[in-house]
Amino acid sequence: MSFISIEFVLLFLIYFTLYHFVGDKGRKFVLLAASGVFIGYFNTVFLFTALAVSLFTYGAAILIEQAHEKKRGPRLIYWSSISCLILCWIGFRYANRLTGATGFIFPLGMSFYTFQAIGYLTEVYWEEEKAERHLIDLLLYMLLFMKFLSGPIERSADLLPQVHKLSPASYPMMTYGLKLIVVGLVKKLLLADHIAPYIDGVFDSMHTASGVQLFMACLLYPVELYADFSGYTDMAIGIGMLFGLKLSPNFAHPFAAQTTAEFWRRWHISLSSWVRDYLFLPLSSLTRRWGQWGVAVSLMVTFIALGIWHGAGWTFAVYGLIQGLVIVWELRTEKIRNKVREHIGKRLFATLSVIRTYLIFAVSLVFFKAQSVSDAFYFLRNISFQTHTSWKEINIGMSDHICIVAGSTLLLILLYDFFMSKGDLHLRFEKQSALVRWTVYYLIVFAVFAYGKFGTEDFIYLQF
Amino acid sequence: MKTTELLEILNGIFRKVLKREDITLTESTTAHDVDGWDSLTNMILLTEIENKFGVRFSFREIVKLKNVGDLCQTIQNKTK
Repeated sequence: MSFISIEFVLLFLIYFTLYHFVGDKGRKFVLLAASGVFIGYFNTVFLFTALAVSLFTYGAAILIEQAHEKKRGPRLIYWSSISCLILCWIGFRYANRLTGATGFIFPLGMSFYTFQAIGYLTEVYWEEEKAERHLIDLLLYMLLFMKFLSGPIERSADLLPQVHKLSPASYPMMTYGLKLIVVGLVKKLLLADHIAPYIDGVFDSMHTASGVQLFMACLLYPVELYADFSGYTDMAIGIGMLFGLKLSPNFAHPFAAQTTAEFWRRWHISLSSWVRDYLFLPLSSLTRRWGQWGVAVSLMVTFIALGIWHGAGWTFAVYGLIQGLVIVWELRTEKIRNKVREHIGKRLFATLSVIRTYLIFAVSLVFFKAQSVSDAFYFLRNISFQTHTSWKEINIGMSDHICIVAGSTLLLILLYDFFMSKGDLHLRFEKQSALVRWTVYYLIVFAVFAYGKFGTEDFIYLQF
Repeated sequence: MKTTELLEILNGIFRKVLKREDITLTESTTAHDVDGWDSLTNMILLTEIENKFGVRFSFREIVKLKNVGDLCQTIQNKTK
């Protein structure tokens, strides 16, 4: 059941009403029931898998804590538990490849809740967190329906305290949540879903597409991915707010980043900060005697792992490798870049750096999107300004109507991101007169229904 | 060694590694307060500090460092 489906709206309305009518203790059961129905609706096997991983995590954390108290073997229990979780994840991820069969389906959300489980066990092992003794609280931490499919990957320190004391959403929180859901819908229905079929079309027929079509698809795919994934995240965070929960942000206007290192502090933040804390930090600590080389090796391993997290195949490994290589290169060339900045001026340097960072990400995403590494290289080799027949190919088959709708939405999203970076736009908007506010609300709702592309329920990150 | 002396030495190391002359650390300073002190430079800073004081931090100690005050305390415990 996708966020953009009648079934989900129905499920949401029932459980939202129940949640705000029952007492303190009942809220946990309502949220857990909603999450169970949400996951089980896809496939009951997905629900059993998620429950099994959650129960395992619950028990493992308590065992690690007890082993710490008795000072007997916490390391062994921790590493055995982490190995089990990773092997289970790899087993499901690569089941089709390992067995040669095609009947295995990778359980939805597994990459996300497995990472949450590993993060939580690591915090307990590091003695930064206490093991959760209330099973229902841990199940909610693992299975909450609004972040189950594609994150944000929540930290136990952020989410468990909220789950311990669930409260009804306040009126300001509800209205804020609703606005975020609308922003997510605009990103998804007015931008991502409009341009997705045409970008897919160019990637599917890259051997017959013209150079300029490949160029445009390469330039537009980061926009599609951002609108799709950040749209999903806005909806997830918005739905969380309607239940009085504050989920972690996943994006912070990433296309304003001047370096790839900065980009990864703004893009899919819950995943990049996870790999930073639980992979890069231990690795760089282990290799710190090697100085800059230790940082470089740790970065490469971390980003290749981040790439592989997205799926089986060399394409994702190369996608991660490119990010790692670029950040290492940025570290090594900081002095030169500072000199260039002094020479050409801060403003021009910042503009060029933003463009450079975007282009590098766009090129790396060709590996992310292509079916094979050789396809990705073919795609990149054939990018040019050449056309088959006319310059109209630059629209990659999109009608003028779609170009105008998607182009205007992109402009609005970039402006929204810009103003959000200067302070909370939603809160500032609250101070406007009722006439202004409701005119804007009606215009947006009208635009979504009149120009939105309904009928596509899938989000790109569901496959991970 | 007194905390004020320690902070002076740490100031020098931070200024050298992060190439910024405007750094003045206090016990409550965290990575958020210092431009350039991030996950990429953190380990290089710690290695410089280890070399300067002839100590070695365990990974558990590194995880528990929340601010410069914690760092000073850990160094003082190790150099007693």
